[in-house]
Amino acid sequence: MMQRLLPFLSLTILFVALAIASPYFLTNTNLSSVVRQTAVINIMALGMTMIIIAGGIDLSVGAILAMGGLLGTMAMEKGAPIPAGIAIGIFVGLACGFVNGFLTTKLGIAPFIVTLGTLGIIRGLTLIISNGLPVHRIPQPFSFLGGGTVLGVPFVLWILVACAALTHFTLEHTRLGRYAFAIGSNADAAVYAGIPVAFHTTAVYAIGGMLTGLAGMIEASRLMTGQPTAGQGYELQAIAAVVIGGGSLHGGEGSVVGTLIGAFIMGLLSNGSDLLGVSPYLQQAIIGAVIILAVTLDEIRKRRVA
Amino acid sequence: MLELSNIQKRFGGVTALADGNLHVRAGEVHLLLGENGAGKSTLMKIVAGMQERDGGRMLWQGREVFLKQPADAAAIGVAMVHQESLLAPHLSVAENIFLGREDRLPFGWVNRRRTFERARRLIEQHGFPLQAEWRVGKLSPAGKQLVEICRAIQHGSSLLIFDEPTSSLSESETGEVFRIVRSLRDRNMGVIYITHRLQELRAVGDRVTIFRDGRTVHSAPLEELTTHQIIHHMVGREVEALYTREAVKPGAELLRVEGLSRAGKLRDVSFSLCAGEIVGLGGLVGAGRTELCRAIFGVDPVDSGTVSVEGRKAEIHSAGEGVAAGIALVTEDRQKTGLALRLSIAHNITMANLKAVSRLGVLDLKAESEAATQSIARLRIKAASGEQLALRLSGGNQQKVVIAKWLFRRARVFLFDEPTRGIDVGAKAEVFAVMDELARNGAAILMVSSELPELLQVPDRILVMRQGRITGELPKGASQEQVMRLAALDTEHRENIQ
Repeated sequence: MMQRLLPFLSLTILFVALAIASPYFLTNTNLSSVVRQTAVINIMALGMTMIIIAGGIDLSVGAILAMGGLLGTMAMEKGAPIPAGIAIGIFVGLACGFVNGFLTTKLGIAPFIVTLGTLGIIRGLTLIISNGLPVHRIPQPFSFLGGGTVLGVPFVLWILVACAALTHFTLEHTRLGRYAFAIGSNADAAVYAGIPVAFHTTAVYAIGGMLTGLAGMIEASRLMTGQPTAGQGYELQAIAAVVIGGGSLHGGEGSVVGTLIGAFIMGLLSNGSDLLGVSPYLQQAIIGAVIILAVTLDEIRKRRVA
Repeated sequence: MLELSNIQKRFGGVTALADGNLHVRAGEVHLLLGENGAGKSTLMKIVAGMQERDGGRMLWQGREVFLKQPADAAAIGVAMVHQESLLAPHLSVAENIFLGREDRLPFGWVNRRRTFERARRLIEQHGFPLQAEWRVGKLSPAGKQLVEICRAIQHGSSLLIFDEPTSSLSESETGEVFRIVRSLRDRNMGVIYITHRLQELRAVGDRVTIFRDGRTVHSAPLEELTTHQIIHHMVGREVEALYTREAVKPGAELLRVEGLSRAGKLRDVSFSLCAGEIVGLGGLVGAGRTELCRAIFGVDPVDSGTVSVEGRKAEIHSAGEGVAAGIALVTEDRQKTGLALRLSIAHNITMANLKAVSRLGVLDLKAESEAATQSIARLRIKAASGEQLALRLSGGNQQKVVIAKWLFRRARVFLFDEPTRGIDVGAKAEVFAVMDELARNGAAILMVSSELPELLQVPDRILVMRQGRITGELPKGASQEQVMRLAALDTEHRENIQ
């Protein structure tokens, strides 16, 4: 029970502390900015949750986010309608995720290495395609995706809730989700039970890539730019969100609710640092320390169970 | 030179050694015999300083010694030649022989020339077919064994322990190892030699000490014992009643294996299983029993041969196809390949047949939990609920969860590989009861077991394997000696002693 309660308690304490420490924290503008900032990481982290549950990891998500955002906005620049551009961004993410899954399962190489390699390849391709230059000529209505409001609530929050609900349903109520848990918990036992392990592992990476592609389009919309250098270091934040939320890097454990809490803890840490005037350089160090702390707590808990 | 009396060793609640006695003289090859788990290896680990004894006396050259680590054993002149090479494959023969004991020069430099010279001299002295410069990684298993031997004797050891040195060697290499062992003995060294291959004994041994269930049961010069007597000492325990199964009339043939072969593992294996039958599969460790199960189930490839299920030839090239054909493999190591320990009991039970509780990929969680609850009741699994993690169950109950998984998959052919390993005595009977029930409900069961008492009592008939082949079939009621003969002796020797 501790692993579910601890992240939630931390989030609550952080929230109350910031409310007391800064008069600006509870303002509407600040809170909706927290939501918008966190949504991109959050949506990526949902895909990462599935991948980590299945015993994998994806270090290339930052690069996938950039490539999805770039190709989606480039299509719009060339005259494609906005929905088509968004669809292209999402599809690019899906394709990248599929390649990650395919390489991991067919070549039998550790996902850490495969995605470290594709991180370089995808980022490099994105820079080549764009010539290193951002895409600026994007139709104005596209800004609604990342900046719009529906019923007084940021549109990205609706998207996040929908994605979270779908991911939760997939993990807890479908065969694919159950297989992800089984593969992550004991891949050998999954093979001996006759589960098509390679197929389902690849599917999980592809879904992770798809969500990252969507996050890339939201990021592009927020900045109204297709930035080939976008998303650097986001993989660290996405993985951190999963781990802080109780996901285990050994596989077989993790939850959507936990990841949401984890992502918001990181969002508040960064927002709070901004409000309290902490240097952005120190912020990076704080996030790194929080990751190590979360994994250490997880390991201690594991050792006690085993 | 070495005298062990009343040595005891426990691991947790398990007694590995209750009363180990051994007396080794200089200039003799002393054979240690016994079934798997009889305590020979534990005793040797104590002699080599790899484990500390819980009780008893160990005298070396007449003085009592306490060895806390392998270095202590090396210091008094005891060395072990390991079964699996503990060598650095990328280094040369010479560097491996003197690893950690190189000729040093000032400032941490190593005198390579002298190291190689010393190695060359040592190899020459013993007439080993080795070159000091050769890379160890490229040597055959026998060559590696020789490097291990060099390493042991260069340190001035006077007692060498060989743990099944020939298990991975060809016949000519075996002859070479024997020649070396005898030459060591002729230099007045003591040699302790553990083996499972009974026909090797006379070629190399002088004295025999036989272990059974953690005790030394007999020790005598080899020429005073016939092979028959040796086997009798190895297995001659009182057989306690484990489980009595009423005979079942076999039904239709469910599994037929014909001419299954795999290079180095299986040689032309053929047999069949009928509905309602439990067939035992005996043999020594390494006889190919696990490999046979894996090949039938599809996790290992085969070179030739066919598997038919319920009269139809089955094309099985993966575990998925094995499962689809109706075969279940209950593996030897359930924690590694049988269960997802950090998932719940219910999720483990339905894992191999989620399609039965889902539609269009969406799970019916209620149907799933009902199915799990039924299985838990039917197999009498002791758990608070289906939600409980598989991790928290005892060995016997974990095994039942694995069986429940295959029951839920509606498998009809069950391959049980050491089904009672790591399970306490009371739970064993329960596992047998579940297997009996499976058979009565029309399943065909193959039961691999290294424990003779259960192999003789539970199955309806027994197949015995040796070196990748089935060497014979015995009816229920066969004796331990009969199984041991098929498992440990080649045909020629079997005829000689009958």
